[in-house]
Amino acid sequence: MPVSRTMTLPDLKALRRGDADAWDEAFDWLWPTAFAVARSKLQELLPAEVEDVAIETLEALVEKTAGVAKVEELKSLAASIAHNLAVSRLRERFAAKRGAGKTESLEARQDVDGNDCEPVAAETPLAELGQAELAELLGQLQRDLPAPQRAVVADFFLEGLSYEQIATKHGLAIGSVGVYLKRGLEAIRRQGAKHPKLLKELEAFLR
Amino acid sequence: MNSMNDQRFFDLAMKVIVRQSSDAERRELDALLAGHPELKTKFEQLRGEARVAKEVLPLLAATESSAGELPPYARERLQTKVRQTFGRPVESRRPVLWGWRWAVAFASASAVIVLVWVGVFRQSQPVIQIAMLDLAGPTRGGGAAEEEALRNTWKAATVESFSKASEVEAWEQTWPAEAARPQVKIIYDRTAGELRVVGRVKGRTVQRTILVENDLARALRVADDFVREQTKR
Repeated sequence: MPVSRTMTLPDLKALRRGDADAWDEAFDWLWPTAFAVARSKLQELLPAEVEDVAIETLEALVEKTAGVAKVEELKSLAASIAHNLAVSRLRERFAAKRGAGKTESLEARQDVDGNDCEPVAAETPLAELGQAELAELLGQLQRDLPAPQRAVVADFFLEGLSYEQIATKHGLAIGSVGVYLKRGLEAIRRQGAKHPKLLKELEAFLR
Repeated sequence: MNSMNDQRFFDLAMKVIVRQSSDAERRELDALLAGHPELKTKFEQLRGEARVAKEVLPLLAATESSAGELPPYARERLQTKVRQTFGRPVESRRPVLWGWRWAVAFASASAVIVLVWVGVFRQSQPVIQIAMLDLAGPTRGGGAAEEEALRNTWKAATVESFSKASEVEAWEQTWPAEAARPQVKIIYDRTAGELRVVGRVKGRTVQRTILVENDLARALRVADDFVREQTKR
């Protein structure tokens, strides 16, 4: 059963000194983020890799403390590194299997699913962003997408709830659900537009 | 379009994009797109944004997650990385009481401790057996190097090679009689590209499968970490 804990933020200066106790604290603090991202990308196709990718993410973070201004930024960076590592694993895995003729292609899988809105795990527009750029996008969205909007957008796109179900769940008028969704997507568009690579991916998608 | 129609178009587009629309709503959207061709671009833009939303929202949620705990076996590996990165030993967590008085005391006690430790250490060491399964048989290249990598990882272990899955299955069912020590079987399936660890530790069964993915050294490290964690006292 998952354990929820409240913990103090690790001391960035101590992390930069290589202090073991500070790093122990940081690993505990960052683990849920790294693991959650790895699981969301790999659970379906490569479940045995989830834990390993989360650990590799934390290993990679050890070298990144010099590049952050505040310790909180390590969370976005952890999410970003875990995402990119997971996508690499998926690409390597399926490239290898395609090469060996062992399994269906990614494209075939997409056809079977038949869902335009659900990209194959490795084919994500975010994959074009570097670690730092994706972390920056996440930080911007955390500031620009208030929690109530984020909850509505997540319920609609991730949980598959209908307007009616979302209205009931959040105590909103049904007409407000669409307004929340619209503002949420506007925030994503606004922040996404600041990242040329992501914009380019989206434009390619429109063609 | 006025703002009311604009919101209606958005709602219809959203429902169609996530496949929640009724037939009537789908027809209404089609009619809107036919009457306002400029909305087609807008619709595709919304579809692209929905795609980004589906990708980015789990990452945002993950940055707020506090559920789950770092596996104990990973902590040592991560602290090693800290030591390698910062180029000096990790600071001790407990004050070390070195001095000549302690040295004398230590010297007289150490011989006894070492003798006791050797006995306990042996009892706690796991019995490790390794099997390599290669359905293509021993003629395929790379097998010797991989076997050596397995031997180097678990130096005290025995390594056996098989070319039939049924033989490995039989081998896997046969456990050493020495039940007092943890027992671990490691099966490297070259054809499937996976390393499987199965163990019996203090009456419970543990297991983990690691994908090799052209990096046997990494998979062996992961497996070794897992074995150490599961069999430590």
